[in-house]
Amino acid sequence: MNFEQFQNQSRLYVIGALEPDELEEFEKARRKFGKKADDFISKCYALHEAFALSLRPAKSSDAIKDRLMAMVKAKKQS
Amino acid sequence: MPQSRVGPRTIAPPLEPGAPSDFELMKGIQAGDPDALSQLYDRYNGILKALILRVIHNEAEADDLLQEIFMEIWNQAKNFSEQKGKPLGWMVTLARRRAIDGLRKKQAYARAEERLQNETEQQPDAWVHNSTEEEIVLSDTRVLIRKVISGLPPAQQQAIDLAFFRGMSQREIAAKTNTPLGTVKTRLELGLKKIYDGLKDLKDEL
Repeated sequence: MNFEQFQNQSRLYVIGALEPDELEEFEKARRKFGKKADDFISKCYALHEAFALSLRPAKSSDAIKDRLMAMVKAKKQS
Repeated sequence: MPQSRVGPRTIAPPLEPGAPSDFELMKGIQAGDPDALSQLYDRYNGILKALILRVIHNEAEADDLLQEIFMEIWNQAKNFSEQKGKPLGWMVTLARRRAIDGLRKKQAYARAEERLQNETEQQPDAWVHNSTEEEIVLSDTRVLIRKVISGLPPAQQQAIDLAFFRGMSQREIAAKTNTPLGTVKTRLELGLKKIYDGLKDLKDEL
């Protein structure tokens, strides 16, 4: 696998779309390309941000935050 | 520090002047400051809720899951590392995984499928639709991202939508869309590359 093919596979990898047999080859290539590969994979996670930011934000119930903060404070005190 | 042009790392919307950065809030959470979590919640609960809703299509379950996810952010903050990426990317990855796990655990595929079918006809946020984009007030960031995504052929949008929001494998997408596996792979590769390249340009506009 050359680096361009690795880049294509990386974008599939970050969204969990690689098939098991592809994953094995991908991990081999990742080891072969080392830090350059890991840096590129990190950049691909911007796709996750983009997909989330492409959606119109949804309103949450106010009670959710109240419950969350109560749980956090209780955990902190325990 | 200016972002390099070699690829996107984040496309998060800009913050109000003087507001703490996401990294600062994550450091606060790592130090056990509930106020930092409160601010991060205010900043991103709408985006994460939208993502969860897109996966599980149930308002009450999405609220419960949102609460669990922010609790996980609090509990797992020590595992977050600046070297691995931006806080929003980390949170979205976590939220998506939890939402897809939740969907699978409840064996709700059939139910969600039916809802998705109904909502695709009405839902303004579906990527592949024909309706009233102009009726929706979108933020600048969202408009720009949607512009990148909507530039893709519908078949590529659909393949990415099923992979990202439904957690489907290439084989599952091939079966669902009655499309050869190789074609699905090509659609995903081409579509993701176009979005990735589009984000490079988008970063310069934000």
